[in-house]
Amino acid sequence: MEAKPALSIQRSGASQISNFGASGALSSSFPVRPTPLEETYPKNSDSRHIPLERDLTRRPSAVVSPLSSNSGVVGHIFSTSSGYSTDLHFSSGQQQEKLPRQSPFISQSTNSGISVTLPHSVDSRVLQSTASSHFNKENNDSWCTDPLPDFLDFPMTTIIQNSQLDGSNMGGIAIPSEELSKPNDWQDWADQLISDNDDLTTDWNGLLADPSATDPGSKASYQISPQSTNISMQQPHISQQLPGTPGEICTGAGQSSSANAAPAKQRMRWTPELHEAFVEAVNKLGGSERATPKGVLKLMKVEGLTIYHVKSHLQKYRTARYKAETTEESSETKPASLEDLSSLDLKTGIDITEALRLQMEVQKRLHEQLEIQRNLQLRIEEQGKYLQMMFEKQCKSGMDLLKGGSSTSENPQEPIDTVQNSSAKDKLRAELENKETDGEPADTAKTSGETSQRAGEKQKTLEAEVPENPEASAGCTSESSPKKRAKVDV
Amino acid sequence: MKFGKRLKQQIEQSLPGWQDNFLSYKELKKLVRLISSSSSLSLSEAEFVYLLNNEMEKFNAFFLEQEEDFVIRHKELRQRIERVIERWGPNGTRPSHLEYRKEMAKIRKEIVNFHGEMVLLVNYSNINYTGLAKILKKYDKRTGRVLRLPFIQKVLQQPFFTTDLISKLVKDCETTLETVFPPSEPARKSRAAGMQAAALPPGEGIFRNTVAALLTMHEIRRGSSTYSHFSLPPLNLPDFDVIQSLQLLSPIQIP
Repeated sequence: MEAKPALSIQRSGASQISNFGASGALSSSFPVRPTPLEETYPKNSDSRHIPLERDLTRRPSAVVSPLSSNSGVVGHIFSTSSGYSTDLHFSSGQQQEKLPRQSPFISQSTNSGISVTLPHSVDSRVLQSTASSHFNKENNDSWCTDPLPDFLDFPMTTIIQNSQLDGSNMGGIAIPSEELSKPNDWQDWADQLISDNDDLTTDWNGLLADPSATDPGSKASYQISPQSTNISMQQPHISQQLPGTPGEICTGAGQSSSANAAPAKQRMRWTPELHEAFVEAVNKLGGSERATPKGVLKLMKVEGLTIYHVKSHLQKYRTARYKAETTEESSETKPASLEDLSSLDLKTGIDITEALRLQMEVQKRLHEQLEIQRNLQLRIEEQGKYLQMMFEKQCKSGMDLLKGGSSTSENPQEPIDTVQNSSAKDKLRAELENKETDGEPADTAKTSGETSQRAGEKQKTLEAEVPENPEASAGCTSESSPKKRAKVDV
Repeated sequence: MKFGKRLKQQIEQSLPGWQDNFLSYKELKKLVRLISSSSSLSLSEAEFVYLLNNEMEKFNAFFLEQEEDFVIRHKELRQRIERVIERWGPNGTRPSHLEYRKEMAKIRKEIVNFHGEMVLLVNYSNINYTGLAKILKKYDKRTGRVLRLPFIQKVLQQPFFTTDLISKLVKDCETTLETVFPPSEPARKSRAAGMQAAALPPGEGIFRNTVAALLTMHEIRRGSSTYSHFSLPPLNLPDFDVIQSLQLLSPIQIP
C-alpha cells in the first residue's frame, strides 16, 4: 500500500522512484531530484580568491582537469539532483579532454574538459550516480547502503575536495568531521568506485567512519562561518576577475519540468561583491536602462554566470532603482512650505522616530535570538554526530555483549554512558554556557544561573536519551532495534 | 501538534509573498504516519527523502531570491544615503536642512523595514529548519530508522540555512542606523510614546510579524514532552512581557 501524500510527487510510477538512482534515461516528466544540494551551495561572502592554475599544479592528485577556456555554462551545471541532468548538461557541448588518472569513471557520466571547479562536483556527482545506481540495484536493508549515502557522502567528498584544493584556509568547514588528515581519501574512494558493488557497500561504512574519526580533535569548524569559503567550488573561477568574493552558483532546478532546461534555471547566489561588479558593469554601459544583459555579462567576465542570471538580476535592479528614484523625486518636487509642516511634523516626527526605534529593538532582539538558536542547533547536531559515531564504534565492540547478554539491553550502554557521555555532556554544557553568555552579555547574571540549570536539565535528558542511541548503532543488528525502541522510548 | 499549530500561525502572519514557501509540516507528518505502515521501507524512505528534498529546494529557491533582492536593496540604500549626504551635507549643514531631514527620515524608515524583512528571512530559515528536524525526528521514531542524523547534516549546508550573508547585512543596517541617526533622547520616556505610535508599518506587517516570530520562538522552545539532548533550551527573553503586550496593540498607521 502506497502512501498518497498531499504533496505532489510527479512520477509516472513507483518504479521511477526506485530508478532515480540508476544512471540512464531520465524521463522528462520526472522532476529533477535535488539531492546533492550541499555540494553546490558554497559559503557566501568573504570567500577568498583562489587562483585556479596554482591549485592545478599543486595538486595533481586532486581530480582536476586542465582549465579549459570554456563558456559560462560551467560551474553550476552539476545541477540539482540527479546525475542525469548533469549528464545532459555535460553532453551539451563541452569539450572532450582526458582527465589525468580519473578518466575511467569520469567519463562514465560526464565529459571532462570542464573547468576545474567542476571536477569536484563532477566527481561527487559521479560518485552519486554510480554509487546510487549500485545501491539501488542492491537494495540492501542496511542503512548505509540505501539511497542515504547519496547525500551522506557528499559533504565528505565536497569538503575533502576543497581541503585539497585550497590549502590555505580550512578554518570554517561546514562539516567539522571532515577536517581532513587524509588527502588521499579521494583517490581511494575513486578507486573503490571503480571496483565492484560489494566493495562499495562495505566501503561506505569505512568511509563514513574514518573521516569522522578525526573529528574529536577539530572544534573550530563547527559553525558555518563566513570563513568557510572554500566549500564553494565555483569560486576559483569567478574570483579570477573579481576583487573579492564572487557569487556562488547554486543548483536549483526548482520545479523545472525538464532537466534539459536546467542551465537556465541554475541559481546564482548573489553576494554584495558580485553585485558590485554588476553595478560597475552596468554603469560602464550607461546605466540600468541602457545596459543590456549581454553587455553586462561580457563586461563582468564571471565564469559560471549566465545571461539568464544577469537578465533576472538586471530586472530586479531596475525595479529597485525605479522605486528609489520615484521616492526621491517625490520629495524633491514638494514645495518648500516647510515652516508650516515642520511644527506639525515635529510631534508626529518624534512619535514616528520612537516607533521606529521600538520596531528596531524588537527586530534586533529577534535576530539575536535567531543567531543564538542557530548556533545552538549547529552545536547540537555536531554533538549528535559525535555521539553517534562513538556509539557505532562501541556497537562494533559491544556486539558480543549484545549477543551474549540478551536479557538486558543495558550492557553495551553502560560503558558508553560513562565514558563518552560524560565528556560529551560536559562539552555540551560548556558550550551552552559559553553560547548563552556570549549571546546576551547584558544578562549575564541571570543567564549563567539559568544556563547551569538548563545544562543540568540537558544532562538529565541526555542520560535518558543515551539508551536510544545505541539502538541506532544497533541498527547494524536490525532486528533488535524496534524492540529496543519500544522499551526505551518513554 | 504544538509546533504545527505555531507554524501555521506564523505562516498566517507572514508577509504575503512568503506564505506558500514554508514547510508543509502537516502533510509530511501525515506521510510519516503512513510510512510506518507501508511495506517496503526503503522505497518509502526514498520517497520521503525525495519529498524532503523538494521542500528544501523550495526553501532554497525562495531564500536565494529574497537574498538577491536584499543585496540589491542594501546597495541602493547605501547609495541613497550617500547621495543625500552629498546633496545636503552631513547633518544637513548646507541649505535646506529640512529637506535633508525629510529624506533621511524616509531612508530611516526604509532601513528599519529592510532590517525587519531580513530578520524575518532569517526567521523563515530557522523555522523551516526546526520543522525539518522535527519531522525527521518523528520519522526516526516511527520507523526505527536513522534518517535524521545524516539528513540533518545535509540540511545544515543548504543555502537557506546558511544565513551568514543576511546576518551580515542585518548588522550592517544596525551600524548604519547608529551612525547616521545617532541615538539621542533617553530611551525610557520616549518608549511610551513609541509604543503608542508603534504597530504596523504601512501595509506590510513587518513589525507584527516580527513580534509574532519572537513569541512563536519562545513558545516552541518552552519545553516539550519529548525533550532530548537534541532539543533547544527554553528561550531567554528578558522583556517577554513587553513583547507580548506589543502584540495586542491596535494597529496605527505610520504615515
